[in-house]
Amino acid sequence: MQQPSAEPTGSERKGMPAAVQAVIWVLLLGLLALVAMGLKRTQQGTVQIGDKIPDFSLVFFDGYTYEGKNEVQLSDLQGKIVVINFWASWCIPCEDEAAALESAWNAYKDSGEVVFIGADYVDTEPEARKYLEKFNITFPNGPDLGTRISQMFRIKGVPETYFIDKQGVLHYIQIGPFASEDDIHTILDGMLGQ
Amino acid sequence: MIADFGYGIFLLSFILSIYAVFAAIYGYQTNKYTWVESSRLAMQLTFPLITITSGILVYLLVTDQYHVSFIYEVTSRSMPLYLKITSLWGGQSGSLVFWSWLMSSFATAVTFRKWDRDREFLPWVVVVSSVTLAFFVGLVIFFENPFEKFWQTFNGDVVTAMFQPAGSVPFSPPDGKGLNPLLRHPGMIIHPPMLYLGFVSFVIPFAFAIAALITGRTDDRWTRITRRWTIVAWLFLSIGLILGGRWAYDVLGWGGYWGWDPVEIAAFMPWLVGTAFLHSVMIQEKRGMFKEWNMILIILTYAMVIFGTFLTRSGVLSSVHAFAQSAIGPSFFIFIGVTLVVSTALLIYRWKDLRSEAELTSMLSREALFLLNNLLFISIYIVCFWGVLFPLISELFTGQKVTVGPPFYERATGPLFAALVVLMGIAPLSAWGHSTIKTLGKAAWKPATAAVIGLLAIIFVGKVTNIYAIIGFFAVLFTSFITLYEFWRAAYARSRAQKENLVLSLWRLFGKNRRRYGGYLIHLSIILMAVGIIGLEMFQTETQGTLAQGESLTLGEYKITYNDLAIFDSNDNRNLARATISVEKNGQFVGELHPRRDYFYESQQPMTIPGVRSTIQDDLYIILVDWQPITTEGATFKVYHNPLVNWLWWGSIMMILGSMVAAWPEKDPEPRKVSSNAALAAAD
Repeated sequence: MQQPSAEPTGSERKGMPAAVQAVIWVLLLGLLALVAMGLKRTQQGTVQIGDKIPDFSLVFFDGYTYEGKNEVQLSDLQGKIVVINFWASWCIPCEDEAAALESAWNAYKDSGEVVFIGADYVDTEPEARKYLEKFNITFPNGPDLGTRISQMFRIKGVPETYFIDKQGVLHYIQIGPFASEDDIHTILDGMLGQ
Repeated sequence: MIADFGYGIFLLSFILSIYAVFAAIYGYQTNKYTWVESSRLAMQLTFPLITITSGILVYLLVTDQYHVSFIYEVTSRSMPLYLKITSLWGGQSGSLVFWSWLMSSFATAVTFRKWDRDREFLPWVVVVSSVTLAFFVGLVIFFENPFEKFWQTFNGDVVTAMFQPAGSVPFSPPDGKGLNPLLRHPGMIIHPPMLYLGFVSFVIPFAFAIAALITGRTDDRWTRITRRWTIVAWLFLSIGLILGGRWAYDVLGWGGYWGWDPVEIAAFMPWLVGTAFLHSVMIQEKRGMFKEWNMILIILTYAMVIFGTFLTRSGVLSSVHAFAQSAIGPSFFIFIGVTLVVSTALLIYRWKDLRSEAELTSMLSREALFLLNNLLFISIYIVCFWGVLFPLISELFTGQKVTVGPPFYERATGPLFAALVVLMGIAPLSAWGHSTIKTLGKAAWKPATAAVIGLLAIIFVGKVTNIYAIIGFFAVLFTSFITLYEFWRAAYARSRAQKENLVLSLWRLFGKNRRRYGGYLIHLSIILMAVGIIGLEMFQTETQGTLAQGESLTLGEYKITYNDLAIFDSNDNRNLARATISVEKNGQFVGELHPRRDYFYESQQPMTIPGVRSTIQDDLYIILVDWQPITTEGATFKVYHNPLVNWLWWGSIMMILGSMVAAWPEKDPEPRKVSSNAALAAAD
């Protein structure tokens, strides 16, 4: 086995200056630390069924209200079942469930026991409004500004829907669109029957 | 039983690859060549072993062995045979096995070459390949085991485990969940293997680069050996990216091909750095310059290959592509960290040896323009890297994950891409060493004039007023005319000198300098693709409407009429809603389209299949959005008009041809011409 042989002879080139080396190491380690932090947060995992959901508030798009207010606070909804649906106007699978959600909302809204909330994930308002108009969505909807709520739920994508029971405890997670309105009824009727 | 055997074999290949690493290092340290040879053989042995493991997995897939949880997750009885086989890479664990198999086959292929003149590289190429292989095999063995089976415990719970838990009985579901219907598309079936092939083949040049750094043999030998690997890697990565785009266009139903999704970018970043590398190694070979730069680029390419795989599979970023949450994130992170730290340390250690043999003398010389090309690619790469990391950075400082969207990338990279297209035209005109404005102008004025005339035709006949499109079209025309002119000049000169006809001359020209003319073909293909991208990005129009039976909708020159809707079950467990639409262009009937929506009973997933009328000029792309149960009441359609988009796909086919020309083996694959440093090393 031959040892390093192409050593430059008579080279005036020097090694890399120590300062440059230091900058490179700082940048490299900084990058690794950043990714490590992101990874750590991911490893904390999604919220689990049975977890108490921390309080959050959502300001609705213009024209949407809940009990006369244009904002909702989860803690004000104690004693009600809360269905929180994450969606986006660019999300094709969301379109598959939009009508079913609206129709399910109409079936439960008069009982006063169930609240549907739509949280719009990473979107632009004009596009979002078009989407809401297209599917005639009437349950309160608002932009998840700075993805604060979706971060809290650690959603992986849209659509995802979370069912929170009357005590504020997470009961069910739906990843991806509902196959039919019946599925929503099955989950909610089960929760109401408890 | 056979699943246990597959796992055992895989474990053996893990041990062998670890052994190869240590044997190679020991052999190098102690100058005992038999140890190095042993490590080489150990690494080669992993290929048949992993082939057996993969074969067993495929056997389990095609024989519906749903007691194995991976098989249950990705296949179902109703799936056709070819889909069952390709499900191997349809899930996390299977795709890691597949990755390992490709890695071992490439590593084996590279160690079969003659090493006489490059013996000192061998142990380190074995080390880098085996470490990479051991990492991926280890992920499968410790975290993502595709051979885990279902077991039912006494209280009725079903658990997955490799070995029978106490007090449980084997459990086998009657049928599997089946592959996500969105992924049942020819483009999607070949897309992952192409990307993996691209990723894996970039490991080989990286292995040689590290070998060159460690042994100190930092002349251009390593780039010459790996030149063809680099082109092949680049080709596969390009095909993978294009197929992904085609899949999005056909399946996702938004009439687009690229969404700047983090995972798309994760695969695009190694491509960007790899493309820069592909160009800059040529300068090292011709002029002995930019050696340190080439090292940085290949290290970055490898890091991006691993980093991209990590981003996709660890759940660090939210994306439509995200695999299920997985435990492999931390392992990936450690692997990336170690790789980056070791490579950087080696690079700094050898920095002084990587000196250029020539100086940059003219800012218009070929090498200077190559450098500019590199800077543009790296700028695009930095934009992408920043965009991908931005959510993590914003989370650090504000506690919120802010995602940057397509507009950010489009605005930031658009001008850089346009500059690259123009540069692609000018650079081949310049000479190595020295060029002036005058020499460049002399070579460029004819094509430039032709481009201006062409542009005026586009503006006045085509009535294009969008300034960005005009700039884009100019860049495209200019560069394509120069490239064609280059072909013409060379073929004409040759036909005069050799008294051949022009076609023959052109053909022989390709044979004479495959890399150059293959490269020019690739350049032309990029131009075709740019035309498609300009068409789609700047001239796409869309409309949407709910039509009753017999009603029409107009979009530009097109008028579509909703005739009928049929709802029926197919014999492969789908429910189809299929609309019939007649299309008129300028009042002339041009055909019928059938946009439809398939509902897959077993996975309970709907899938939208657009009706597309595709011509060289434009695509008419219709999506069935919604319909009433009684067809006369109407259905909602979304209609896109995508001008020139077919140029994108035709361009990609030409790109494959060009790459094949460039990578085609030459008669004497190892020219004896070696540079002074290599001669020094060989004399040793």
